[in-house]
Amino acid sequence: MKAILKGIGVVGGFGTGIQTLEKVLLNRGPTVESLAVPDPQTLGGQFFVPVDTRQIQDRFPSRALRRIDHFSRMALLAAVLALEDAGKPEVNDRMGVIVATGYGATRTTFAFLDSVLEGGDSCASPTLFSGSVHNTAAAQISMLMGICGPNLTVSRFDLSISEALVVALIWLAEGRVTSVLVGGVDEWCPVLSHCYHRFFGKNDLSPMRPLDPDRQSAVVAEGAAFFLLLPEEDRADGYGVIESVTTGCLRDDAPVLPEDALILLGADGHPVSARRYARFVPKNRKMAAYAPYYGSLPIGMGFDMAIAGLTLRRKRIFPMPEIAVKDVPIDTVPTDSVAWTGKVCCLKITPFDTYGMITLATQTGNPGN
Amino acid sequence: MKPGKPVAVTGMGCICAAGSDLAACMTSLFTGNPNPGPPRRFTSDHPNPYPVFELTASVLSGLSREQNLSLTATLGIATARQALEDAGWEPEALRRIRTGVCIGTTVGCTMNDEGFYRIYRSGKPPDLTPIRRFFNSNPAASIAKAFDLEGPCQALVNACCSGTDAIGIGASWIRQGLCDVVLAGGTDELSRVTYNGFISLMITDTGPCRPFDRDRKGLNLGEGSAVMVLESDRSCHLRKKAPRVFVMGYGSAADAYHLTAPKPDGAGLKKAIADALSSGGKTMSEVAYVGAHGTGTPDNDRVEARVLHELMPGVPFFSTKGHTGHTLGAAGAIQAVLVAAFLKAGRIPASAGFHTPDPELLIVPTVDSRMISGKIALSESLAFGGSNAALLLGIGENWI
Repeated sequence: MKAILKGIGVVGGFGTGIQTLEKVLLNRGPTVESLAVPDPQTLGGQFFVPVDTRQIQDRFPSRALRRIDHFSRMALLAAVLALEDAGKPEVNDRMGVIVATGYGATRTTFAFLDSVLEGGDSCASPTLFSGSVHNTAAAQISMLMGICGPNLTVSRFDLSISEALVVALIWLAEGRVTSVLVGGVDEWCPVLSHCYHRFFGKNDLSPMRPLDPDRQSAVVAEGAAFFLLLPEEDRADGYGVIESVTTGCLRDDAPVLPEDALILLGADGHPVSARRYARFVPKNRKMAAYAPYYGSLPIGMGFDMAIAGLTLRRKRIFPMPEIAVKDVPIDTVPTDSVAWTGKVCCLKITPFDTYGMITLATQTGNPGN
Repeated sequence: MKPGKPVAVTGMGCICAAGSDLAACMTSLFTGNPNPGPPRRFTSDHPNPYPVFELTASVLSGLSREQNLSLTATLGIATARQALEDAGWEPEALRRIRTGVCIGTTVGCTMNDEGFYRIYRSGKPPDLTPIRRFFNSNPAASIAKAFDLEGPCQALVNACCSGTDAIGIGASWIRQGLCDVVLAGGTDELSRVTYNGFISLMITDTGPCRPFDRDRKGLNLGEGSAVMVLESDRSCHLRKKAPRVFVMGYGSAADAYHLTAPKPDGAGLKKAIADALSSGGKTMSEVAYVGAHGTGTPDNDRVEARVLHELMPGVPFFSTKGHTGHTLGAAGAIQAVLVAAFLKAGRIPASAGFHTPDPELLIVPTVDSRMISGKIALSESLAFGGSNAALLLGIGENWI
């Protein structure tokens, strides 16, 4: 089962669109800690990286957006951008939608609880309740874009993206759909931020160092990354081909990394995670970790997949921020842009001893795409 | 879509208000007298409590509870264990093959612990135990961990379609050669948050729910779990295991219409049914009966009745919600397991809660239990967000 990666849409603290993300990669910044702002709402104080979704107002009438919360707006904007990036293909009833999310619409979820705690059970807000359901973003995408094909939402924390892709590839292979708009979205909220702070300590906004096994440097972020996938037999020009998606448990013999692929590590500033990557990815492999550009969030793997697509299209490895790799004992990490024509593998290792792996390659017969 | 091969179901497990296992549920559905009551595990300040289908104290006490697991995850593990026993699988043997887990849920993936949040709002740092439990209780991951399984592991959060989608997608994993065995189903517990949410939407009945009845006022929430063991032909042959039933086909489609109301013409549901039939290589005329979503809300039942009247006039249909309540992410799985069990039993139950025909619906559900001779049945779900899903289940032929 393979699929062509035809279009990419991203929304993050870095800005909006795949072109913006590429600029950030080429300029080696700004990095998330420089974009973080203090959040007075979080109990105990914390920083977060806000996402601006105003560009969605250029795409839909204000009336249609009136009751759509921040979570769904991020997803909707990234989904629209993915279609635009793919050349605005016609939406039909054989287009599927799959949304991955680690936490769902957390702000709306807690706003619903506010309505109960402030006004009593009889004052629970129906609007907030219906907006708090995990598949709200997928529903809004289907409603505003008129997509009537299969519609699904999956949630497995850090592996949500890879699990969503497993379904996307199967739908395409079965002929259930002729294209899939698949992606992930997660939003920041004060409660999550508070929990993060309690579990990992208060963030001091020092630079993120995803490969540093000794320092906690994760910066909580939010955003969305979406992709338009087509069946491999379509032979359409795209960023590349998704060759495989695998998930599993960490064992001495797993994960088996593809030979000679660039490994994009999903390391996002947690030292425990950095140590796991160090254990399972041999030091001699070419690797990079780009979380300093998009931050720490469950669907971060979506941003790595977007960067993998760019890597295949530009035939170059994008540099990591110098400060992120300074004194890290791995000499295969790029701090300058270098040529690359091989495969790219996005690897996410989770705190639950599980992993997800997405391998992309250049399209055969489309070397100049 | 090309028809796919039927996927064997070799074991089934079910826990809900109707019973602590599938056999008990079946007995209840044919002979029981459902009696939902006010929630016992939480309180509310609604002047009159809305009835729910809660698990009995004896069922709850029979579960092996772990402090760091939610009830939703615990139920999922318990029904997975039932299904594996029914299928004759020792969990250790599953570790040697590619075994996936695909589970639908709603409550199980939502971080909304009210007690935690109440303390947070007061400005004091709350105890993090509920958060740790949340992280530890992804229903699919919990089942995979409980049985030490390494295959694909997915929690589907597609609102009330989740359980149906999970079985349909699990079957695809078998068809596409991704797994030898898949534990597929759904699980959800009653929660004060969803209780208040559904009441706020004014789609909850103050008495026992009355699916497809003229006087229906809404749903009753419930809780429970159901899991099917889906198995590849090769695995069935190696084990010399005769399938109980087959997942013949699956379809899903979006209404693209409204966040909480189904599209009045049922376009999404029709498409989901059409896809389920075409992927199973079957036609409408072969469907012996339909397990309807039948929540008892005016909108849901109106749309379902319209679609069934248009597509399959005269085909018997029923709702099991009058025995189980609406179990949200588990609903589609519980319904599918029951619909499959009815195929095996050769009879279908009366639609509990139905008394008076609604002239607007043009059709009525089963009013008595009856014998059936067909080999194909449909189980359908509708959900918030405009999702629709349908499973085609079959027996009687040697499809492997």
